[in-house]
Amino acid sequence: MSSEQLRKTAEKNSSASSSKEPKNKFRLFGLDVFIGGGFDIVYMVLVLMLLTIGLVMMFSASYISAKYDPATKYDATYYIKRQLGFALVGVALMFIISRINPELMKKMTPVIFAVSLVLLVLVLIHPYRLDGKEDFKRWLKLGIVFQPSDVAKLGIIMFFAWLLEKYRHQIETKWWVSLALFGLLGFLCVLIYLEKHLSCTILIMLIGIGMLFLGGVDRRWFILGFTVGILLIAVVVIFRDQLLDPYQADRIDSFIHKDYDDVDSRWQTNQSLFALGSGGFFGLGLGNSRQKYLYMPEPQNDFIFAIVGEELGFFRSVLIVLVFAALVFEGFVIATKAKSMFERLLVLGISLQVGLQTILNILVVTDLMPNTGISLPFFSYGGTALVMQLVEMGMVLAVSRSGERKKRAEKNA
Amino acid sequence: MKMNINKILRPKKIIMKNLHQRTMGLLAGLIILGFGSTIFGLGYTQLYKGEYFKTKAETQQLSDTTITAQRGVIYDANMSVLAQSASAWKISLNATAFADAPSEVKENVYSTLINVLGVSREYLEDKASYKQYNSVIIKTKVEKEEKDKLEAFVKGTFKDKENNDQSYGSLVMIDEDVKRYYPYSTLASQIIGFTGMDNDGRAGIESFYNSTLTGVDGRVISARSNSSVAQDIEYKSVYEAKQGTSLVLTIDETIQRYLENSLSACYETSKAKSCTGIVMEVETGAILAMSSKSDYDLNDPYTIHDKKTAETIEKITDEKKKENEYQEAMYSQWRNRAITDTYEPGSVFKVITMAAGLEENAVKYDEKFTCTGSVSVADRIYSCHNTAGHGTQTLTEGLMNSCNPYFITIGQRLGVDTFYKYFEAFGFTEKTGIDLPGETSPKAGTTYFEKDKMTVVNLASSSFGQSFQITPIQMITAVNAIANDGKLMQPYVVSKTLDSEGNVVSGTQPVVKRQVISESTSEKIMASMEQVALNGTAKNAYVAGFRVGGKTGTSDKLNDVGQVVASFVGVAPSNDPKITVLIVVDEPQGASGGGAVAAPVAGEVIEKTLTYLNVERQYNDSEKALLDVQVPGVTGKNVDEAVSSLENDNFSVKVVGDGSTVLSQMPASGQYIPQGGIIVLYTDEQKKKLKAEVPDFAGMTITEANYAAVNAGINIKVSGNSLSDENLTAYRQSSEKGAEIEYGSTVTVYFRTMSGISDH
Repeated sequence: MSSEQLRKTAEKNSSASSSKEPKNKFRLFGLDVFIGGGFDIVYMVLVLMLLTIGLVMMFSASYISAKYDPATKYDATYYIKRQLGFALVGVALMFIISRINPELMKKMTPVIFAVSLVLLVLVLIHPYRLDGKEDFKRWLKLGIVFQPSDVAKLGIIMFFAWLLEKYRHQIETKWWVSLALFGLLGFLCVLIYLEKHLSCTILIMLIGIGMLFLGGVDRRWFILGFTVGILLIAVVVIFRDQLLDPYQADRIDSFIHKDYDDVDSRWQTNQSLFALGSGGFFGLGLGNSRQKYLYMPEPQNDFIFAIVGEELGFFRSVLIVLVFAALVFEGFVIATKAKSMFERLLVLGISLQVGLQTILNILVVTDLMPNTGISLPFFSYGGTALVMQLVEMGMVLAVSRSGERKKRAEKNA
Repeated sequence: MKMNINKILRPKKIIMKNLHQRTMGLLAGLIILGFGSTIFGLGYTQLYKGEYFKTKAETQQLSDTTITAQRGVIYDANMSVLAQSASAWKISLNATAFADAPSEVKENVYSTLINVLGVSREYLEDKASYKQYNSVIIKTKVEKEEKDKLEAFVKGTFKDKENNDQSYGSLVMIDEDVKRYYPYSTLASQIIGFTGMDNDGRAGIESFYNSTLTGVDGRVISARSNSSVAQDIEYKSVYEAKQGTSLVLTIDETIQRYLENSLSACYETSKAKSCTGIVMEVETGAILAMSSKSDYDLNDPYTIHDKKTAETIEKITDEKKKENEYQEAMYSQWRNRAITDTYEPGSVFKVITMAAGLEENAVKYDEKFTCTGSVSVADRIYSCHNTAGHGTQTLTEGLMNSCNPYFITIGQRLGVDTFYKYFEAFGFTEKTGIDLPGETSPKAGTTYFEKDKMTVVNLASSSFGQSFQITPIQMITAVNAIANDGKLMQPYVVSKTLDSEGNVVSGTQPVVKRQVISESTSEKIMASMEQVALNGTAKNAYVAGFRVGGKTGTSDKLNDVGQVVASFVGVAPSNDPKITVLIVVDEPQGASGGGAVAAPVAGEVIEKTLTYLNVERQYNDSEKALLDVQVPGVTGKNVDEAVSSLENDNFSVKVVGDGSTVLSQMPASGQYIPQGGIIVLYTDEQKKKLKAEVPDFAGMTITEANYAAVNAGINIKVSGNSLSDENLTAYRQSSEKGAEIEYGSTVTVYFRTMSGISDH
């Protein structure tokens, strides 16, 4: 099927949906707001499984640090109460969004991206400074305190899916379109980098590159980009003292020189390794982590998987990793069945995000990568992040619905 | 041109077809490389390096506190405490928390610790640098006074960097510790020994019985959090401490004190290098007292206790030499010379030669021997200390005179083999096996002659105790065998062990090593030794009323020409031996023979010890005439009646005051004073007690001393020798000359003779 044919099919389908289902009361831009049909049950089960395990482990990990933290007013349930609240909101949103017509999402994409862009700029101008993290410009207070980058991740994924579908012919015919897309990605990365949010920058860069790759950009650019990237990383690592913030250079230093007795720059990493090592094959048992007794700083955040490894052991930790892998796999499966380029790339982008975030997080926890500060989806504490993840899951489910419908239509034909 | 660039740069082929391929490729890469590497990472940290990290984790998580087992108590024979552990405190610093504390807080902690504990700032800074440890020991065995000061300090709070209130207790920690206390300080110091920093015995009983005394330390292993605030109660295992076993010694504090007082006096007056004494229970071989001056304070073992030595060392200017001398003096004062040092026993050994001779019938008990002043053995001529010769004498007289030719002859008659047999049987070739550390092991060819290489000349000198070296404990054990009907005992100092509740765990049974000589030989030698004390060289050891047997010895030091070792061995009572006493004085100055230096010491010890052991005195008639009399009670009586009744009893009476009734008297009723002594009667309540000045008795005979005492208005108690001997002169007194004491008080004066006691 050529791209031309794909476009035609998409147009036919959209017109078909509007004509064949006149009963639907909610219509926007000439499209049904809601769609029916069954979604991918496996995907939803995987999401709820990870969410449940994540919440339990987050409670276990945060319990002690919350209990002895004056900031939480010594409330052991401080984090879990909030996370549970966000999870409920998130799950509700997931199910609502899973019914929304992906066509409508496509229509909304430029708006969502524009909002994301505004937020990314706003956060640089007027950041909300968190106690103890005054150097960072990651948080914005608009009613609630949240990280615009969490929202922007989705905005960027959607926008790239939208662009790659809209300009799919130009990508094949005009060489500068690809460059322009790379340029846009670079611009966005710089914006996020200015927040002093290196991990998110890397993540968005990887997702963006992945999407461009899956969107059909010529291989040569990747070979070129890959070479330049490697060189760039090498330069950054070698001249880290001149190029990076001292704290970032420190982290690379302590990654290269693995000193397991270091109590300063490697403290968090070492505590993570001690926790994982204590877990061994079978773990110390749920709730029995000793490292969470104020050894592991902020065990509910980026290093939560260390506590998971300590309490549940290697065997169960690997099972959790496999559930994540299954989620990514199922996402890809849904993508291949998507009925349009946009939907396909949307689901792939979201899956890439979940997959990369999980992989990078665990690589940091196991000291195979410098400590960058990437959270673990569904596990790490963070309201907006969790809600956004569940919103994304809802989008995947929505695509799976329309995908299912297409499949059924094919079967019936 | 533009088109050309586009042609070059635009994609060569339509890739949309390959999108599915790309997607699957990326998925495979993501899962295999991405998730694969995370699983690899988990496997590496959790399984491959798991144990390593687990150990690291446990090191920081588990606090392992030792519960020190209470070290056993050391008691004397009457359950007086000689050594006991008591609570002390251990001060440690949480170096981790300390590193994070504000600098003014650090200064505060530094200055407090420096002031209270007397440690240096450099020392503290060094300790604080171990910031990965949250407990670094600053000082152990801290006394209550210092601990109380620190306890008040740690209750205070400070603001940490997050502006939270923190207690100083989170930085400075006070834990229980134990400290060893020795209530009698110097008493029996070389026997008891002391403990080091680690509570392990370093010398004496403390060292020899260290494992018995120590017990087993307990442990508390608990999980702790990385903060003083959070306490984890979930994980805790306790291993109870097993308390140490207590020891009951054979040493009797009272007898030990008698011995040490006499040895100290001897050490002072004789200016000897050392004075060593042992008191042994005849029947069991138990050590009742053992000491060697100078000794040390168990509570302060690293200080030189002997003032003279300390002063001498202080005067040394060369720092290195000073240090060396100090070390040497320290080890010297710790050394239990009674078992570690060897000496040539000299004439004391003649009783051994005599025992062998009698047992082997080499000499008859009543055999007459004429001493011409010398005797020749092989090509060597041995002269007697009495160069004119002792003339014809019995064996007992030979012993009384300490006649060398007589005993050389006995030795020659015995021959090398037989002599050696007894030398061995009396235990001179082996350790005695006393339960104290550091007993010197005799070495054939070094400390004594090898049997095969012993010549008749060697035999001759050995017969009178020269040319071989033994330890004091060997000597007394051998003589004790003679006193003990020929049974050689293994000496010991621990009689039983007690558990922490005071129940007897084990008791020491006296060990008879062997029967060396027969009972009849034993009796004969005892009788002879009694004669030595009565009329021979050991007169100064005689105690009126107690039948003392003894033998003096004065041996030349081979390596130190002109210097001698003066010694005396005594057994009392000789008809029913209870105790054996050995006194060894190394290099006495001035009056140097065993009879002059060592025997009086033994006499003092024997008199006090037997009195303490309730051995009844049996006086002979001449002694009875000179015995002390008991003071009758006249308080409350009419003054005139009292005076006349006392004067009838030959007391000299002095009345103080104008009253008609006796209100008090000095000495009090029931005390013993010499016949004709002074009694003061007070008749007025207000009248001050009369004072008398103590005269210098040194060098006086008993008669002269009595006269001087009556003139001065005091009574004297004659001690240390036969009361009838007119050659006795005073050498020591219990109150110093010129001291003011109450009129009518009693001063003990010690007498000895300097004539007819030479054995050298």
